[in-house]
Amino acid sequence: MNQSIYELRGIKHCYGDLVALGIEGISISSGTITGLVGPNGSGKSTLLRLLSFLEKPSQGEIYFRGNRIESSTLSARLQVTLLNQEPYLLKRSVMENIAYGLKVRGKNQGCEGRVQEALSWVGLPPREFAHRQWYELSGGEAQRVALASRLVLGPRVLLLDEPTSSVDATSATLIKEASLRAREQWGTTLLIASHDWSWLNEVCDEVLHLFRGNIIGSGMGNAIFGPWSNRSDGFSERRLASGKAIVVTAAPNEESVAVINPGSVSIHTDTSTEEVQKNALLGTISALALQKRSGKVLVTVAVDSIYFHAELSDNEVRDRMLFPGRHAWVCFHPRDISWV
Amino acid sequence: MNYILEGLIKAFQLLVRGDPETFSAIRVTLQVSTYSMVASLCLGLPLGFLLGYSNFPHKKMVRTLVDTLLSLPTVLIGLIVYAFVSYRGPLGELGLLFTLPAIAVGQTILALPIVVALAATAVESLDQRLHTTLLTLGANRRQFLLTNLWEARFGLLAAGVTAYGRVLTEVGISMMVGGNIKWHTRTITTAVALETGKGQFGMGIALGLVLMVIAFTVNLSLFFLRRRTRH
Repeated sequence: MNQSIYELRGIKHCYGDLVALGIEGISISSGTITGLVGPNGSGKSTLLRLLSFLEKPSQGEIYFRGNRIESSTLSARLQVTLLNQEPYLLKRSVMENIAYGLKVRGKNQGCEGRVQEALSWVGLPPREFAHRQWYELSGGEAQRVALASRLVLGPRVLLLDEPTSSVDATSATLIKEASLRAREQWGTTLLIASHDWSWLNEVCDEVLHLFRGNIIGSGMGNAIFGPWSNRSDGFSERRLASGKAIVVTAAPNEESVAVINPGSVSIHTDTSTEEVQKNALLGTISALALQKRSGKVLVTVAVDSIYFHAELSDNEVRDRMLFPGRHAWVCFHPRDISWV
Repeated sequence: MNYILEGLIKAFQLLVRGDPETFSAIRVTLQVSTYSMVASLCLGLPLGFLLGYSNFPHKKMVRTLVDTLLSLPTVLIGLIVYAFVSYRGPLGELGLLFTLPAIAVGQTILALPIVVALAATAVESLDQRLHTTLLTLGANRRQFLLTNLWEARFGLLAAGVTAYGRVLTEVGISMMVGGNIKWHTRTITTAVALETGKGQFGMGIALGLVLMVIAFTVNLSLFFLRRRTRH
């Protein structure tokens, strides 16, 4: 088991009266890749800002490599770096942008060579790009330069906040590859907030699911949002646009969020008698992805605007002939739901 | 129309011949505006940075005051400086009245609010993501401040250039506290005013042309700076 690089205890972070984050405790192992998923406003970016020591939590303690850290601790900040969704480039050349972090650390020796290497990692030919000015880059190129300026530091921790959400497909692929290369090269611990579930599922050792500032579970959980209405049989339901209803155990309140483990969801191409007794929702398979840890296949099915994830064995996927684009039934029992 | 044409011809003759009186006014103008710009930049840039960057009680009030001082009339500044440096004034013993330092003090008062206000705006308009970027790349406090200044460099330069344009073209302060003394405190603007009054259009036009060339150069550089800051 790897040593913990981060340990968070009793974290609560507020912006005014708004509680942006509330985490009882998590531990992140050194050299691992952790994914953060959750809807916008779920606290992913706030968590990354705390982990990059840009902000101090309103309550609670963050331990980094066993030491309690204050937000102003420069030595910890020098080991951790954060790449935002929309990065800022200094009003300088690409070369100077990437070299900035090295220069503030006093690492001027061999600076040019390291900058060129970082540029090639993110797929930008150094000869062509090193002397370009900040305003001579496209959005995807700027994001890659920003990533290169982090990678050149050989960071112990690289925090990525939706790094591929506003770039083209080529840039996204290069950013993903370069990030993973950092772990191979230096054993960098990666924390990635992203909506790209299949990527996270493919590369992450663990995926944390955030909702309204709380970690509601690890793995690729299914979150089903309200509004819920109570039924006469003691269950609650949410009506979909198609007229179908998702039936769950009695909802604590109208806006509660139902969570169901992907292991409790099954996917079928026809509905058996047994399955009909449960929720059986017709949708379209949108993705299949091999899970790194379990070796199982994560099948994603879109039902109206809701995406359900189910964990199936490779045999089940093969036998049921599941592939993207095929219509399939998402089945789960109301009792397998938990509430947040 | 003839006298204007004659004035233009005379102006070129004065400039080409290197007329001492004309060039004395040019030298005095450049000398005194350099004094006042050095003083206003040394004081104004740090103050503008503080005003734009930091938060303190009554900041909005201070900002409003600085903005109000932007439209301070030169004759009022001349009057105030005159009151202080005249022989009966509190600084009368320093013997500053009708000297270049007295004009420089007045012009510094004129330029200071411009430098402070525009520098504050330049710093305020820095992208908020810059702060996060610098911290996450490992900048310490000193590197953080210096990089912020460097990122605002075009805005800060524009503040200096704008203030220089104002200082160069003012006439009220130079006239009131400089006294428009030939060979000593006569600047381009006061000379133009005097010579025009005397009907000597040649020297007036010659000095006016020089002023135009300097003002054009200053404004041209400002134009290029503004274009760069847009990126």
